[in-house]
Amino acid sequence: MTPRLSLYVPGDTLLHRAPASWKMAALLLAGIGMFLVTSPAVLGPCAGVAAVALLSVRTPPRQLARHLTGPFVVLALVAVAAVLFQSAATAVTVGLRLSALLLAALAVTLTTRTSEILDVLERVLRPLERTRLVNAAAVGLAVSLALRFIPEAFHRFHEIREAQAARGLSGSPVALLVPLAVRMLKSAEDIAAAVDARCYPPPAASRHADAAPPPARSPAPAGRTDEEATG
Amino acid sequence: MMNAHTARGRTARRRMETKDVVLIALFSAIIVVLGLVPPVDLGVAGVPITLQTLGVMLAGAVLGPVRGALACALVVLLTIAGLPVLAGGRGGFGVIPGPTGGYLLGWIPGAFVTGLLVTVLATRPRSRLARQAATVVACLVGGILVVYALGVPWTSVSTGLSLRQSTVTALYFLPGDAFKAVVAGLVAHNVRQAYPIERR
Repeated sequence: MTPRLSLYVPGDTLLHRAPASWKMAALLLAGIGMFLVTSPAVLGPCAGVAAVALLSVRTPPRQLARHLTGPFVVLALVAVAAVLFQSAATAVTVGLRLSALLLAALAVTLTTRTSEILDVLERVLRPLERTRLVNAAAVGLAVSLALRFIPEAFHRFHEIREAQAARGLSGSPVALLVPLAVRMLKSAEDIAAAVDARCYPPPAASRHADAAPPPARSPAPAGRTDEEATG
Repeated sequence: MMNAHTARGRTARRRMETKDVVLIALFSAIIVVLGLVPPVDLGVAGVPITLQTLGVMLAGAVLGPVRGALACALVVLLTIAGLPVLAGGRGGFGVIPGPTGGYLLGWIPGAFVTGLLVTVLATRPRSRLARQAATVVACLVGGILVVYALGVPWTSVSTGLSLRQSTVTALYFLPGDAFKAVVAGLVAHNVRQAYPIERR
């Protein structure tokens, strides 16, 4: 009933073993670089490398096709629009650039656990913490709570939809969404009380100590790993 | 009682209370779920409509500018983290540089402006109808104008289409989004009547 909550595909390929921070940095640099380049002679090989990287992940073909169809329909529409409104050369440049980025990004997404990506993002956010704009612990809490609430909200949505349908209100989004939002707001009080009672998030000192060495990943809080959120 | 006390004690140290974090997470979950459920038939012919952007406007209008924007930022974070949280099960880094990446990032200022306008416009008028109308206007401006202001130029950069052509593409989605803004305004107004929470 509940949708699967991660795009990660388990495996032991080169990309699976590469550190998440390297993969994300490489992707970011490649993304910036490819927007600066317009020559198909450079973008073509880039797209080829990205395709090889994606194939090296050894995702089951059917799954791969499912991931790629949606984006490539959009890409095809973009290419057609570029041919019609501008020139064939622009269409080739844009098509190559976007497919290279798309394939590379998918390769990283498929080979990196959600928890690893969140760890990297948390490390990137940490310097911002000094400016008092960002609270990395609060971000971590919000992420784990959101992962826990998505199936919950999904469940409630269907509950309300069935109840409304029984009373002949099936077509009205207002009748559907008002009770959903009100129920969620009401439960916020109880959930916050429960979180406070468990003294989460832990004090800053211990957090920094356990998060220091990158290879030994700190244990993720409940609900944060993909597996737990799926159940 | 104990909870209220400890919560206030925490505010002194960190500006965000646990309840705010919970509300942000709850609304980001609503936004995600509105993208996962099969689209409700809204009767606008030919335009594929999911309710996801409705959740964005709702977050701003119900939670207020700061928390609403943070709820959207959380959805963006989950997207980048590789979770299929966007409509149609999309997710991953690839979304950001793609043609629709600007719309996704535009949600954050969009929810902020929606919340700001609701605070400014919809809390003063005496008549119920005026407050309702003001909430709808806030959703239209924040959820459409602001989101498109980021989304359209982004599409243009990402795809090489000219600004004018990107605008034409966006117009295709305008009727559906306008309808959603009206629904979001009505929902937000009803929610705030049924369960008022303090705004920030």
